[in-house]
Amino acid sequence: MKTTFKEEEKNFVMYFEGRLDTAASAEVEKSMAPLYECTGHDIILDCTALEYISSSGLRLFLGLLKAAKPKGSHVYLRNMNEDLRQVFAMTGFINLFEFI
Amino acid sequence: MRYQNHLTLPNDVQEVPQLNAFVDEVCETAGLDMSTTMKINLAIEEAVVNVMNYAYPNGKGDVDIDAQINDEHLKFVISDSGTPFDPTVKAEVDTTLSAEQRSIGGLGIHLIRQIMDTINYERVDNKNLLTLSKNITKK
Repeated sequence: MKTTFKEEEKNFVMYFEGRLDTAASAEVEKSMAPLYECTGHDIILDCTALEYISSSGLRLFLGLLKAAKPKGSHVYLRNMNEDLRQVFAMTGFINLFEFI
Repeated sequence: MRYQNHLTLPNDVQEVPQLNAFVDEVCETAGLDMSTTMKINLAIEEAVVNVMNYAYPNGKGDVDIDAQINDEHLKFVISDSGTPFDPTVKAEVDTTLSAEQRSIGGLGIHLIRQIMDTINYERVDNKNLLTLSKNITKK
């Protein structure tokens, strides 16, 4: 599992590559820390190369959303594949996030 | 019985990639497509991680995963000799709540219920046995 943080046109973008399973989640949680300093920025989680997510990963996404919303920041999930979208649908998370 | 396989893991979530490799192999043997395989991986990971996190509050212990395939079902039996715990009695999560109202917990068993066709818990000989099965009859 690899994550890359970039600032693109004022947006905070994090690229996720590989499998976000329970084993990877602690390390990914640390790497997501800069996203929490998002006042004045929208957040894009780029899921083009994300292959898998389990509930520990869903918790990280929800935690970020809960922190970002009161700061007025949007959290967009970009380019998520259909299988992962189904996981978001099963949990109702599909209604919480904005998909682009 | 067409096929069976077994994996024993210590209660360490860093072992999850080994579990994923095991489940991938079982699903491939059952002839399942990648999409179904990913979801079954998710259900089994949630069940096994639950045992790893909660069954042995005082230290180390093992979790056993038995997989069986016959013509109609793919079945996983997840067992441990830890604290008695029936995950099937956990309350349903409300998936219609807003982000502010959603809590961080309870998603694992919810995903297992969504993905697998039957879930059964038994306490036998001081062990927790959780049986998860999926119908795989070809249409």
